[in-house]
Amino acid sequence: MSDLTLSRRQFFKMSAAASGGLVLASGISACMTQTHSSGNEDLWKANAWVTLHPDGRIEFVLDRVEMGQGTLTGLTTLLAEEMDVKPELIEIKFAPADPTYRNPDYGLQITGGSNSLSSSWEQIRESGAVIRTVMKQAASRVWKVEPSECVTSDSQVMHPPTNQALKYSDLYKLAINERIPNDIELKDPSEFKLIGKHNQRLDAPLKSTGAANFGIDTQIEGMAYAVVARSPVIGGKVKHFDPSSVMAMTGVKQVVQITSGVAVVAEQYWQARKALNALAIEWNEGQNASLSTDRVFELYKKAADDDEGDKRRDDGDIDEALATAAKIVDVEYQAPFLAHATMEPQNCVAHVQEDRCDVWAPTQGPDVAQVAVAKVTDLSLDQIFIHTTFIGGGFGRRLTQDFTAEAAEISAKTKLPIKLIWSREDDTKHDLYRPASYHRLKAGLSKDGQLIGWQHQIVCSKILSWYVWDAAPAQFPWAPKFMYNTLANVGLAGEGVVAPEDHSPFEGADSYPYSVANIDVRYTHADAGVPVTYWRSVGHSQNAFVVEGFMNEMAHAAEQDPYTFKRALLKDIPQALAVLDQVAKSANWGNPKAGRHQGLAIHKSFGTWVAQVVEVSLNGNQYQVEKVYCVVDCGLAVNPDVVHSQMESGVVFALTAAKYGQIDIEDGKVRQSNFHDYQMLRMNECPEIIVDIIPSANAPTGVGEPGVPPLAPALADALFSATGQRLRSLPLTLN
Amino acid sequence: MIEFRVNGNVQQVDVEGDTPLLWVLRDVIALTGTKFGCGMGLCGACTVQLNGQPIRACITPVSAITGQEITTIEGLGSIKDIHPVQQAWIDENVPQCGYCQSGQIMSASALLAQNPNPSDDEIKQYMSGNICRCGTYPRIQKAIKRAAKSLQTTGFAVHIQESNFDLATEVQS
Ligand code: FES
Ligand code: FES
Repeated sequence: MSDLTLSRRQFFKMSAAASGGLVLASGISACMTQTHSSGNEDLWKANAWVTLHPDGRIEFVLDRVEMGQGTLTGLTTLLAEEMDVKPELIEIKFAPADPTYRNPDYGLQITGGSNSLSSSWEQIRESGAVIRTVMKQAASRVWKVEPSECVTSDSQVMHPPTNQALKYSDLYKLAINERIPNDIELKDPSEFKLIGKHNQRLDAPLKSTGAANFGIDTQIEGMAYAVVARSPVIGGKVKHFDPSSVMAMTGVKQVVQITSGVAVVAEQYWQARKALNALAIEWNEGQNASLSTDRVFELYKKAADDDEGDKRRDDGDIDEALATAAKIVDVEYQAPFLAHATMEPQNCVAHVQEDRCDVWAPTQGPDVAQVAVAKVTDLSLDQIFIHTTFIGGGFGRRLTQDFTAEAAEISAKTKLPIKLIWSREDDTKHDLYRPASYHRLKAGLSKDGQLIGWQHQIVCSKILSWYVWDAAPAQFPWAPKFMYNTLANVGLAGEGVVAPEDHSPFEGADSYPYSVANIDVRYTHADAGVPVTYWRSVGHSQNAFVVEGFMNEMAHAAEQDPYTFKRALLKDIPQALAVLDQVAKSANWGNPKAGRHQGLAIHKSFGTWVAQVVEVSLNGNQYQVEKVYCVVDCGLAVNPDVVHSQMESGVVFALTAAKYGQIDIEDGKVRQSNFHDYQMLRMNECPEIIVDIIPSANAPTGVGEPGVPPLAPALADALFSATGQRLRSLPLTLN
Repeated sequence: MIEFRVNGNVQQVDVEGDTPLLWVLRDVIALTGTKFGCGMGLCGACTVQLNGQPIRACITPVSAITGQEITTIEGLGSIKDIHPVQQAWIDENVPQCGYCQSGQIMSASALLAQNPNPSDDEIKQYMSGNICRCGTYPRIQKAIKRAAKSLQTTGFAVHIQESNFDLATEVQS
């Protein structure tokens, strides 16, 4: 292995791989010259790996997981564009857990935050451009011509003046010895053949024929099946159980106690499930036995009274503004806990052996999974191998590795390779939820109807408090295990210093975009003990509902149309205006069809502006969302059809939550269990969805999540137009 | 031993009769294209066809299909030998996470076999037993329309129906 050269931002190394292929690694320079165990902060940078085989095969290690959001297609398109090969020819391998593949924005190998494209936009293109450049150089040396006279297309280099061509596969041996020029030139957008145009999802054939392997489809030699009973009361512990009653049941192999409850392992899934159902378990219910949704909101309200919270935004003088206002509106909003309900329930295959452990998991965080496994076994991180799979929906659920830890613990205790499968009931009742939140808002209008003051107090729990236990150690893979809890505590204590600040409670509220002179946004922390984690669009999912909902209210209070009211206050943000104007035009705002009522909202999340107009019709106190107009500015749309589908997906996901989404707690237990009481939107309720993408040459921003936030407030305002009822609590149910 | 046919092949399985067909397909016969979503007949992820009719494999005890013919997503078509409904799914970029799509396709192909030219409303009603958490419904709608067109020109649906019927009668006779 010899390093060939250093470029300005990155350096690349090429080597003949053991398999006889050409491997190209790209990364920020310091990253490649140090061992991965040094713990140096430079290791936070992501890498992309490409292997060219002599037979022309191209292997691409995908370091972000594919859970529906189209990352596989997007990142492969970037590579194919710069390499000048057909995307269909690229063989994709899912990345193992390795610091090399960390997400540069987080220092963890996680897929979330809608940044797969934005964080890889240059790196992966550069990896492709290096190959293209080197291939050109190698060919020009063969032909004794200038590289600049050569062109590339469809896996070959051509020299048009002499009409010669050489395939990449014929050049790769020469290419290994080529110097890489200091400045790798990326293609000019005018040269793009795929970016902005390629519209075929690369995983569609596998997923349309049942051939895609999800985590739950993993089969390994000698594998048994495991199911787990967990405390019905959140946080409860096993008190007593008697395995003898089920040991004789067909297929049952072992019954073991694990950290989260009791596991039954059998030859087949159904045998394990039947035995578990027959097993009587007594629980110590612990401190949450009297917890309820009402208690959570009581706690929040008390916290709001007792603690005015941390200032997240403090423009002008809010007290003065409210004191002089001609009209003040003062309201409360709230949003419930929500489950993720990924279509593929949580599952994991684990095989713990004396000196290694292999885990196959549909996980959004392979390195966090390593830590979770390390904690429940005697193994160190370098003995733990995480194999990622296709993922049947993530939405943030699979950032937390509780299911991985369970599988590893069961395998370690039973000494069997096992597949753990959660039932839908397990998945609903033992999720980590979107935090419930409570909001107090006050805003003032001047005599002439100008918005002069905006005050927003948010009360909810912090996701980081729950996530840090696995995530902090994953950032420091060199740390010995006894330090894991210390690291987590340091992460919490040093939030914003040694750990990234947790913006989840107030994101989308502190970034209040309207030009109002006096703004006061505060966050009051309160945690009732309900496990929480990231949920598609995270804090934006509730804060957009509150901010845009209340903005719509203020428009009505000022006796103005919400569109013109907002438009005037967004005049300094051209991107926002373009999106807002386009959605108003597309929806023919203000002139809905007879029997339909409109509502509008706009929100920026993950770098992307999205505006939506929702059209509803009524049937008594039941409503049907008939049509949703959605306009998005996500920078350059690499695969426009993926952007369209992500907006459609965001709308359906958000409408599901707005209409039905609610996790309730009673006596410390989650009340909902399956799709009959935690309902999903079905096809007969799906609106027509019209998506427009604002043309842009800017670097791509997120699309997986930003389609979610504007839907609920737009729907709430449409329902207000239809009925005069102002709904300030999710889900939206008419009286 | 329980005997039935899957995708034209005779299968003999040694499981308890109350085991849902879903787990027999996935864990015993290793046909993992059929998915587990809810186990209560609520989501349609486990949809397969029994003599051409869509059924929910998660609530169908394997004993109930003794001697009958089951078609799974793998039997409908494969990448090398694609069914027009699957092709329409690819052409419309339907799958996102893809987890629900085997079930969606098994429902859709059963719909088209019964009703070669369904209206938008008929599609919505028929397909409402299949949940897609990724919200691919608008695409499913388009793909079924597209498949209906291509089936009408190829007559593929009739062909599939006939072959299923032949196999089923063979087992019973
Ligand atoms: S798994 Fe059978 S209907 Fe949901
Ligand atoms: S494609 Fe993900 S559930 Fe349908």
